[in-house]
Amino acid sequence: MLSRAASSLFWMARYLERAETQARLLDVSLTMALIDVPEDREEQLSVPLLVTGSRETFHELYPEITPQNLIDFLLLDDRHPASVFSVIRSARDNALHVRGNLSADVWESINLAWMELKELRHKGVTESNASRVFDWTRERSNVFRGAAYGTLLRNDAFHFLLLGTFIERADATARVLNIRHHMATKSLEGHPTQSFFEWTALLHSLAAFEAYQNTYGHNIEPMNVAELLILKPDVPRSLHACLEEIADLLEQIESGEARRARRLATSLYANIRYGDREYIAERGLNEYLTDFLQRIQRIAGQIQKDYMGWKQ
Amino acid sequence: MVMLIQTPPEGIYDELFDQNNRVRPSCRMLEDWLIRSDEALLAEKRREADVLFQRLGITFNVYGEDQGAERLIPFDLIPRVISASDWQRLQAGLRQRVQALNRFLFDIYHEFEIIRAGVISAEQVFANPQYQPGMQNLKLPRNLYSHIAGIDLIRHNDGDFYVLEDNLRCPSGVSYMLENRRMMMRLFPELFAKAPVAPVEHYPALLGETLRAASLNPNPTVVVLTPGRFNSAYFEHAFLARQMGIELVEGADLFVRRNKVYMKTTVGPQQVDVIYRRVDDDFLDPLAGNPDSMLGVPGLYAAYRTGNVVLANAMGTGVADDKAIYPFVPEMIRFYLGEEPILKNVPTWQGRKPKDLKYILDNLPDLVVKETQGAGGYGMLIGPKASKKELSHFRSLLRARPDNYIAQPTLSLSTCPTFVNEGVAPRHLDLRPFVLSGKKVQMVPGGLTRVALKEGSLVVNSSQGGGTKDTWVLEGEEC
Repeated sequence: MLSRAASSLFWMARYLERAETQARLLDVSLTMALIDVPEDREEQLSVPLLVTGSRETFHELYPEITPQNLIDFLLLDDRHPASVFSVIRSARDNALHVRGNLSADVWESINLAWMELKELRHKGVTESNASRVFDWTRERSNVFRGAAYGTLLRNDAFHFLLLGTFIERADATARVLNIRHHMATKSLEGHPTQSFFEWTALLHSLAAFEAYQNTYGHNIEPMNVAELLILKPDVPRSLHACLEEIADLLEQIESGEARRARRLATSLYANIRYGDREYIAERGLNEYLTDFLQRIQRIAGQIQKDYMGWKQ
Repeated sequence: MVMLIQTPPEGIYDELFDQNNRVRPSCRMLEDWLIRSDEALLAEKRREADVLFQRLGITFNVYGEDQGAERLIPFDLIPRVISASDWQRLQAGLRQRVQALNRFLFDIYHEFEIIRAGVISAEQVFANPQYQPGMQNLKLPRNLYSHIAGIDLIRHNDGDFYVLEDNLRCPSGVSYMLENRRMMMRLFPELFAKAPVAPVEHYPALLGETLRAASLNPNPTVVVLTPGRFNSAYFEHAFLARQMGIELVEGADLFVRRNKVYMKTTVGPQQVDVIYRRVDDDFLDPLAGNPDSMLGVPGLYAAYRTGNVVLANAMGTGVADDKAIYPFVPEMIRFYLGEEPILKNVPTWQGRKPKDLKYILDNLPDLVVKETQGAGGYGMLIGPKASKKELSHFRSLLRARPDNYIAQPTLSLSTCPTFVNEGVAPRHLDLRPFVLSGKKVQMVPGGLTRVALKEGSLVVNSSQGGGTKDTWVLEGEEC
């Protein structure tokens, strides 16, 4: 397939996944800010900024961290390149480039999301109706995935699209886990109820609360949470699940001479697949995840070099 | 509430009503439907159509407006009906005309027979800015130049169809023909159960067949070349590529090495045999045409000249659809095919002829004046609707560059009932069927019907507020 089309599909899927991550993160942070003691409120609210590395951009545009400012910045602000508005716009731009490769259903799911989002932005979003917008974002994301799985030919266009989804998802899981795990661990020194909420916030941010309860029961243990989100292959947002998909997709993509992205991905996959919680504990979660993030970014870069880079 | 349908003004051919304001036999089921339809329901269907078109992203970009400003072409729910016998005649006439035009293009780049026979002057061909001397003696598969032609027709008040214009370069609009049909079937499935409407859905398959036949390679790689997503017809380019299952490429996706064209794919270079290009001649290759063009592919022209790639349509077809050449098409048909033209031309006065120029200047308020190079309804004067100032402006233009203009009588385009703010009223329309030339000349029954939505207006172009309708060619017997 065309290199440019592969790149557009890859980025289109990354942006759509990013929109969902943003909505989940903000949703959880706003809820937590309501539960939290006032002095910790700002810390809660700044989690989405930390995860996405956008704290500086935020402070350039807004005087202080308030729920409304966060909603404006993370959902609707077109000056912020990672706001839900901006990423859905970017996703649609990319989708326009590859309309020839998309089924009508997939294209419509993205185009409709964009049209509805413009409308939402026009009306404005406040704290009181924000949760409806979060639901909407998740719903649009589910419709897109459903349309993609249900209607796209299983060819390289499909593979590059999924590759974008899982690269973005692995990246997001590692970032969210890194920051929220640290916060929750700190909260263990405080009130147990507060601490419980911190852990559930982490799990909810990654849609893994039910998965945790199913696997480990009600008692939330820090190492169990890390194990669940890193090593469990059956949790959809775990690093293991994402890497398994990435390695598998790179095997399936017709690749000619390109081998490097495959090698990097398979190696990282093997690390996780044969890894264990003791190793993670020994190495320290923060260090483990920082290393993971560097490697997943290298894989993403290599995919672009191998399949999408055409320098003449 | 029952629909009230305004009848057409006198002296105008209406597609639904005859001169006694009785419904034409072929349109009876349409009238039944309209009369029995509830106005509120139809208004709702119109809104539904708008939402669906938005959602599908069937929008076009208007030049001169914000880049990325996307607009819908207004879609009218009331179809335009063409009887089976009318279509048979049209089809035969279109086939004949396009064949002659392709023969003409071959001739003026090879043998110049028509010039030597004195039918057309050498000056008119060779001095035409659309003439590409580089195309001389280039051998093209099947001697085909315009693989895809869009012929604009109107129906005059004598009830007969006239060719208004031939489009032999990159005619667009076919996606609207297809989407309009899809929309009608979705909104009014019950209508199609009653009316024997001929299908048009196989157009992309025919187009694919035509493009593959354009190459001598039995299994060619075919791509659609688009200027990109800011082009007004981008939706159509993507639509056709998807329907044909071929790649939609931009100039930057292609490159030329040793006079062969390749596309940049995820597994390396892949050679391209046929380019269905929706980029104008001048922008195809910055080394040969406009050096500032970012849309083209450097070296493409050389590859084309070597015969390693086929362009559909060929370069240099513009000379045959030029308004200065148009008056000669009936003669071409006689000259190359030895047949009488089936479709009529609109009588045309040529500014380049002193006698004609005098007639034009003397009768300006009654005439339509067009620039020979103009397109899209730009640069034209509609005498009867023009102000004194516009008339005198055009008089001076005509005197300065007479060869730049032609003039035609103001034809009364036929009308068809159309939804407008005031209800259902007659509006003027034209028809653009798409003619495909490959192993044979073929077309799907129908075309794009464009309608001028303003009362009395004769300008149907979408860039000037025109809309579209579904076009129903009826199968078999009338009624």
